[in-house]
Amino acid sequence: MSNILEVKNIHSFINQFHILQDVDFVVPKGSITALLGRNGAGKTTTLKSILGLASVREGKVIFEGREVQGMPPFEIAALGIGFVPEHRAIFRDLSVEENLKIAERNKGDLDRKRTFIFDLFPDLKKFLNLRGTELSGGQQQMLAIARALVADNSLLLIDEPSEGLAPVIIEHMIDAIRQLSEQSTVVLVEQNFLVASKLAKYFVIIEEGKSVASGLMKDLEADKAMIHRYLGAA
Amino acid sequence: MKTNLRKNSKAIIILVIIAAFLFVAARGMSGRDVLITVLRGFSTGSVTFLVAAGFSLIFGLLDVLNLAQGTLYMIGAYVGWTVYVRPDTFIDVLTPVLLILAGFSLSALWGRLASRIQLAPKARKIISWLLILAGFGLLALVLTRYPIAIWNLNNYSESPITYSYMADQGLRIIPAEVTFEKISPFLALAGLLVSSAISAFGIALLNRDESRSQTINWRKFLVPALLLLGGILAVVFNAQITSWMYAMSTNWLFVIAILIAILSGVGLGALMETTLIRPLYNRPIYQLMLTLGLGTIGLQIVQAVWGRPEFVWPKPEFFTGTGGACPATNLADLLEYNCSTVFLLGGRVRVYDEIFIPIVGIIVLIVVWILLKRSRIGMIIRAGVQDRQMVEALGINVRRVFTLVFALGVGLATFGGALAAPSTGLTPVMGERLLLSALIALAIGGLTSFPGAALGSLLVGLIQQFMIKYGQIGIPLPFTDAVFKPSPPLVPASTVLLMVIVLLILPGGLLGSKE
Repeated sequence: MSNILEVKNIHSFINQFHILQDVDFVVPKGSITALLGRNGAGKTTTLKSILGLASVREGKVIFEGREVQGMPPFEIAALGIGFVPEHRAIFRDLSVEENLKIAERNKGDLDRKRTFIFDLFPDLKKFLNLRGTELSGGQQQMLAIARALVADNSLLLIDEPSEGLAPVIIEHMIDAIRQLSEQSTVVLVEQNFLVASKLAKYFVIIEEGKSVASGLMKDLEADKAMIHRYLGAA
Repeated sequence: MKTNLRKNSKAIIILVIIAAFLFVAARGMSGRDVLITVLRGFSTGSVTFLVAAGFSLIFGLLDVLNLAQGTLYMIGAYVGWTVYVRPDTFIDVLTPVLLILAGFSLSALWGRLASRIQLAPKARKIISWLLILAGFGLLALVLTRYPIAIWNLNNYSESPITYSYMADQGLRIIPAEVTFEKISPFLALAGLLVSSAISAFGIALLNRDESRSQTINWRKFLVPALLLLGGILAVVFNAQITSWMYAMSTNWLFVIAILIAILSGVGLGALMETTLIRPLYNRPIYQLMLTLGLGTIGLQIVQAVWGRPEFVWPKPEFFTGTGGACPATNLADLLEYNCSTVFLLGGRVRVYDEIFIPIVGIIVLIVVWILLKRSRIGMIIRAGVQDRQMVEALGINVRRVFTLVFALGVGLATFGGALAAPSTGLTPVMGERLLLSALIALAIGGLTSFPGAALGSLLVGLIQQFMIKYGQIGIPLPFTDAVFKPSPPLVPASTVLLMVIVLLILPGGLLGSKE
């Protein structure tokens, strides 16, 4: 099976708002796919629909050959999907260590992944006993990604990892995501086209709740007109 | 960081003012009076804390203001009293309760079945309600014929007041056993199980959307099977268990009564959350009305079953000794003669009311604190308070944690009721007063802060007790000869005053967060 995730013509609602109106794409296994589009186009909602955090009323979400739409979010996540949300959602009453520990799905997950995580983000090791919110923005982002790595997730959904970070830290983040994509498939939502184009092999463009284009990233980079049309100036 | 410091400094200022106030208040009293008043303050504070802590846990994680908490506190007292004074009634009631729970706890299985049934929405609604009504109708039919030895409200000599009075005098009357006459035992048991299973299926069908794709394994049947087994054992060995409980020392009976009170709260809480609160999670006003209404209904039910008048819960042997070296002056005497009072600083202090209750309060504080800070479930609760969706996105079944926390919170309230009743006596209005105190304590301490609940409850307890004490001895007003004696209505008013002052300076309460 080459596609780890298939999103088939989904229509999604958040409360009573019809946000996604026909989004359709596939995510090939073992690569990074970027969801692109303007602000409010529905990229974040697409990620939430995959996880069941937004209610999918029509269409199908197929993860590893299994229809997951309509299942409760915790069951979908437990199938092996890690989520790094917009604004990181670090738990402020938990220490850095606890923020990682809570993501364990089986006892000892964290101990097994400890070296992998700290090789990726050596900074975190120094702050294990700090509270989650005492970290800087970049460190919080690393923690959010690390949290998604604790359990054995074959798919990672990462929302806006570069948002609000300094360029140096963005470089570091790009390295880290590239490294972890060797182990899991990544779906990336990214406003910063430069970051997206450096990382992703495939792209999907979402416009006003519809998927309007998809393909190989290198084709998109060559097609300035398309970039201009859907993403504004690039 | 800076604002954090400023916020703390405000809290410190308020605490200093309160300490100074208490100091001045204490100056007008003898050392003996101060000690007793402070101990009583701790006692009242402990009971308030149990209710407030439950309230705060539930509100923190679920955003539900459980206004039924006061009624549940009262129910805890009445349930505990029944186990303690009328074990035979308790054993008789145990079987139907366990069987009904067994029927309802099959809901996981029902959810699976219900999700497979394809029906038009309207038909589904009608059929679910028909099933629920049929189930409850059948349940009522069986229950009215089920033999339960119970007191008689219309006959004074068989009323709860008389039974509690007799027990207080050390007289244990074993009422006549009742037997299956109106219905055969098998029919009764099967009827209870089937009728509750039918209504549980109706409820599952009604909430079909929520229960898709739950996996079924043998563990899901473990709880219903155990409940069923327990119910059957209780009915088969009814007479033996009853006489065993009557022969038991009152200390152990008391422990059992407290445990049953806690369990009843946990059960009621789980039932409330899964059936009534869950459909209303995004509708705060409806929740408020629901919990308020449940509180009133609970009050009416208690009045209908136990009657309106007050009665007492006799203290267990361990706290009632008067002979020998009582009142005790040292620990050895206290333990040897089980004294009801001890001498402390020349004053007589009641052991149960003024020493035991505060100790239990502190133990509960520590246990719940450890649960929150050290256990995985505590970690999930702390994370869930902030961001439920993210916790769920990590693959954690937040809904189950919700049920657990609601059950735990209600369990704390019923625990408080059962703990306080031997000291305060039982009255149907005991819950309302305590709910008010608990809410004020939470407002003072910070609504979702667990240490805040403890601090607020302690302050409320202390202020109430000092006001009561000054109501007896009077405050000499400066520059006049007049003596001011605060009247009883000023006791709750004084706590409200403290709340107003605290909230004016710190809108989030002493230890609350800023939101």
